[in-house]
Amino acid sequence: MSEQDPALSPTLDDADAATLQRMAGAGATRRALMGWLAAGGMGLTASGLVATQALAAAAETPKTGGSIRVAGYSSGTTDTVDPARQSLSTDYVRCNMFYNGLTALDANLTPQPVLAESFESADARVWTLKLRKGVEFHDGATMTADDVVYSLTRLQDPKIGSPARPLATQMTEIKAMGPQEVRITLATPNADLPVALGTFHFKIIKNGTTNFTTANGTGAYKCKEFAPGVRSVGVRNPHYWKAGKPYLDQIEFFGIADDAARVNALLAGDIQLAGGINPRATRQVKAAHGYDVFETRSGGYTDLIARLDVAQTGNADFVMALKYLMDREQMKRAIFQNYAVVGNDQPIDPTNRFYNPHLAQRPFDPERAKFHLKKSGIGATAVPLVASTAASSSVDMAVLMQGAARKIGLNLDIKQVPAGGYWSNYWLKAPLCFGNINPRPSADILLTLFFKSDAPWNESKWKDTKFDSLLLAARSELDLAKRKAMYWDMQGMIRDDAGIGIPLFLSNLDAHSARLKGLRPIPTGGMMGFDFAENVWLA
Amino acid sequence: MSIASPARLRRRIRPAGAIGLAIVLFWVVMAVFGPFLAPHGEGSVVSAQVLDASSRAALLGTDYLGRDMLSRILFGARYTVGVAALATVLASLSGSMLALWAATNGGWSDAIVSRLLDALISLPSLLFALVVVAAVGSSIPILVLTAAVIYLPGAYRTVRALAVNIVAMEFVKVARARGEGAFYIMRAEILPNIVLPVLTDFGLRFIYVVLLLSGLSFLGLGIQPPFADWGSLVRENIEGLAYGAPAVIMPALAIATLTIGVNLMIDGLHGRPGDPHGH
Amino acid sequence: MAPLVRLLMARLAVSLLTLLIVSVLVFMATELLPGDVAQAVLGQSATPEAVAALRAVMHLDQPAWLRYLTWLGGLLTLHPGHSLVNDLPVAQLIGSRLPNSLLLAGLTALVAVPVALVLGITAAVWRGGAYDRIVGLLTVSAVSVPEFLVATLAVLVFAVQRHWLPSMFYEMPDRSAMQLLRAFALPVMTLSFVVIAQIARMTRAALINVLDSSYVEMAVLKGVRPLRLVLLHALPNALGPIVNAVALSVSFLLGGVIIVETIFNYPGLAKLMVDAVTTRDMPLVQACAMIFCTAYLLLVLLADVFAILSNPRLRHR
Repeated sequence: MSEQDPALSPTLDDADAATLQRMAGAGATRRALMGWLAAGGMGLTASGLVATQALAAAAETPKTGGSIRVAGYSSGTTDTVDPARQSLSTDYVRCNMFYNGLTALDANLTPQPVLAESFESADARVWTLKLRKGVEFHDGATMTADDVVYSLTRLQDPKIGSPARPLATQMTEIKAMGPQEVRITLATPNADLPVALGTFHFKIIKNGTTNFTTANGTGAYKCKEFAPGVRSVGVRNPHYWKAGKPYLDQIEFFGIADDAARVNALLAGDIQLAGGINPRATRQVKAAHGYDVFETRSGGYTDLIARLDVAQTGNADFVMALKYLMDREQMKRAIFQNYAVVGNDQPIDPTNRFYNPHLAQRPFDPERAKFHLKKSGIGATAVPLVASTAASSSVDMAVLMQGAARKIGLNLDIKQVPAGGYWSNYWLKAPLCFGNINPRPSADILLTLFFKSDAPWNESKWKDTKFDSLLLAARSELDLAKRKAMYWDMQGMIRDDAGIGIPLFLSNLDAHSARLKGLRPIPTGGMMGFDFAENVWLA
Repeated sequence: MSIASPARLRRRIRPAGAIGLAIVLFWVVMAVFGPFLAPHGEGSVVSAQVLDASSRAALLGTDYLGRDMLSRILFGARYTVGVAALATVLASLSGSMLALWAATNGGWSDAIVSRLLDALISLPSLLFALVVVAAVGSSIPILVLTAAVIYLPGAYRTVRALAVNIVAMEFVKVARARGEGAFYIMRAEILPNIVLPVLTDFGLRFIYVVLLLSGLSFLGLGIQPPFADWGSLVRENIEGLAYGAPAVIMPALAIATLTIGVNLMIDGLHGRPGDPHGH
Repeated sequence: MAPLVRLLMARLAVSLLTLLIVSVLVFMATELLPGDVAQAVLGQSATPEAVAALRAVMHLDQPAWLRYLTWLGGLLTLHPGHSLVNDLPVAQLIGSRLPNSLLLAGLTALVAVPVALVLGITAAVWRGGAYDRIVGLLTVSAVSVPEFLVATLAVLVFAVQRHWLPSMFYEMPDRSAMQLLRAFALPVMTLSFVVIAQIARMTRAALINVLDSSYVEMAVLKGVRPLRLVLLHALPNALGPIVNAVALSVSFLLGGVIIVETIFNYPGLAKLMVDAVTTRDMPLVQACAMIFCTAYLLLVLLADVFAILSNPRLRHR
């Protein structure tokens, strides 16, 4: 509700205020506004005052109308409008235009009600969701509990191959208790279920949908065109259930994979929003008039992985030497133009409520690195370091580390490998390589996916039973202070013992026309957590 | 001291050719000695200013990480000059030989070689390069071979198209009637009559290989960071183009001078008098 | 003409065989590549169970030869299958892109080939002169600048700074001829840089080569004027290599324009193929490969026929 001007609230109720602002935003004259106010029974003096306020506020309040073109950074034949099968940012943008979830994550990653008006549980195991009434799919059908059951059950189907399947299979029963009520039973208690329901894949589709050549959702935009690898066009959904939204008439979305071309398209005025721009391009954007850089700080990172179950890279001293060899300040400045936050070899970033600020920062220390290197007995053997453009900026990080390593007599042999197939063939396989972890909505999800001993993506194959039991205990702990203490301990353990080096947490950078308003950072990703579509307007 | 010899030399190599030769020689010297002349290491960061303009510390400015551009270009010279020259010679030589052989023999041998190479050229080079990396890994010799194989069919087609015209000429028939062997006909009758277009094709192909390298290194084939060929230097610093950073202009200039040098040299070579022109 | 017709038929038959060989090679290549489509689709989230399930759905658990034969059978009955990645019919995916690729290649050829031929021929006519040198220098310079640099620079100058031309392709409200022309201006210019240089230089070289030969020298002795000499005496005999260079260039314009398609957001076949290779989407890779191969074979066949027609001596070989 941040878009509404509080000054209007004392004299008008919310709905009226919204209508007034829309009229002002749409370019209504003061006279027209006053006419509308007078018809509503307001005295002439009062209406004159309010109308003036509304017009003044219009510069910062949403305006309806207009259309924009947006370019993301990837697009290909894998493009989909099937929420279950989304895999890239381009899909997240598209599905956020056409669909709604049961919940949505806000700027603090707290779940907010969307299609579910409320979500309640007494034991964090059995959850009752009350659905919003009168929500319509684009084809006119009313959204009911059956649609929700179908959408969630579908995520569990191995044949669909949804990346969200591991999260979805914790739901052992999904049952419609009435047209507007769904009961979800979990295998084990999880207080974060509403968080999971707010993630990208848990969008609600119509019961029985199997054809995804177009999208039929409840979202703010209707799918006018969807051509994988070419473009998607969304047009305003006139029956959208959120009053006053969306603001734009049309959004054309496509991917321009070339970084420089994407920025140039923006500066040429052909697009209004360029997603995921290179930090090096910020200088060009800032130098141009009428364009802004939009930074979203997040918990995403590119990490160095030393597999602990391989003799050479499993040497504790060798791993420590590598961690001391990362010149984090240099990486932050040279690679990211300072659009990053220095990391401390543990995955919880400073925006997270469980971040431990008292953990001593590991410095860049070639002397200590040299000490550990000597102790490790690696000597002058060439150690292959696998990097790829698939793990963003990993090649540059490797180059900077190689330079520092050479000075202490460590021979890092960079192997740049093709981006295609990197995640299947090198990540989790090569003894010394890089990973790239997207921001996750909760500390529990992140640690469970990447650091639990039996996690499939346990990157360094780090196994610690004490860590595992702490993780499980923290999940069911309701006392926030105790829970915090546990997460703090876990951060220290990862920092000191895991084979993971996290030099930096990376910011997402987007560039946009200064006329495009309403962008607010949501740390699940750039472009407002890929959910800019219903929140932006053209001033 | 002979008066005739400088005059003959001048006729052998035209001024443009001499300039071309000088440029090529310069870059060959740089390819050999560049790394020793470079003021900084190939990967060392020398400045906090990225994509910076020319300064006393970094004569050709800095690249996107703040590395010295002059050093990067000097280190890259051997990759660009060496790899491209080797690959082009390989592609053109084997392509031309095959083409001459096919054109001279005609008939089935011509048809089979032609269609096989048609099949090879139809393979998308991206697919080919990826398969090479996957199957045999990545090293400089493999990079040279890959680039050569990608451009061999083109050289073959060009030379064959030229050669069949000559094979049909009277003097070749006469030579055949004399009972000359195929090799003699190829070397003495056909090759001298198509040498200019073949060399021109070589010059163009050299440019293509230089430009191909950056694409192949991007896939992780051959040259590994922190080393980079000139095309890759242009690519990785492209963001600097908007404000004319030397980091993107200088390697592009290096490529341009090298390739223009090679082509000038080729044009100049043809000015040699005494080339046999038919019979 | 009978031998020519026979040759044509033979070549067409051999072309089909070539296509078959290429399809086998491409199939083997996609098999050789590490990772398969299931892993590519799942990306970073490819757990063994998820991959196994998806493989079964995509029939990747069948032996390779069976999958190849299934694909081949489908192709022969004009059903090139569905994309493994998004389940759309391959014919539909190709159908939406092929016209774009043909349009871009056609427009570029329309601009570049005449310019290149004029440059090449005039350079040959005035060979050795200042004009020849300048043309030579310009063409070599043009082709030696990396394509992505030409494209980016052109966008910076004409779209970002001057706002004369659009920087890329997007859905245009009204597709007037003028708008289309403006949209195509930069891509066509970028591609022309490469193509003009190649054709012009090969034209010049082939012409000069013929000009140097004895029978043209005879014409010179008879006092024929340079322009007439080139057009009437040399050109017919140099047509083979020239048409060959044009054919190679046009085939490049169809399949090798990935950089231009990426930078200008142009939905053509080259990008589709790169996508398909990246995701190991076999039916789509094969379909693209078949199209490029067919186009190439037709173009070189055309060039060969042209060469034979232009050179009477070749007709009776």
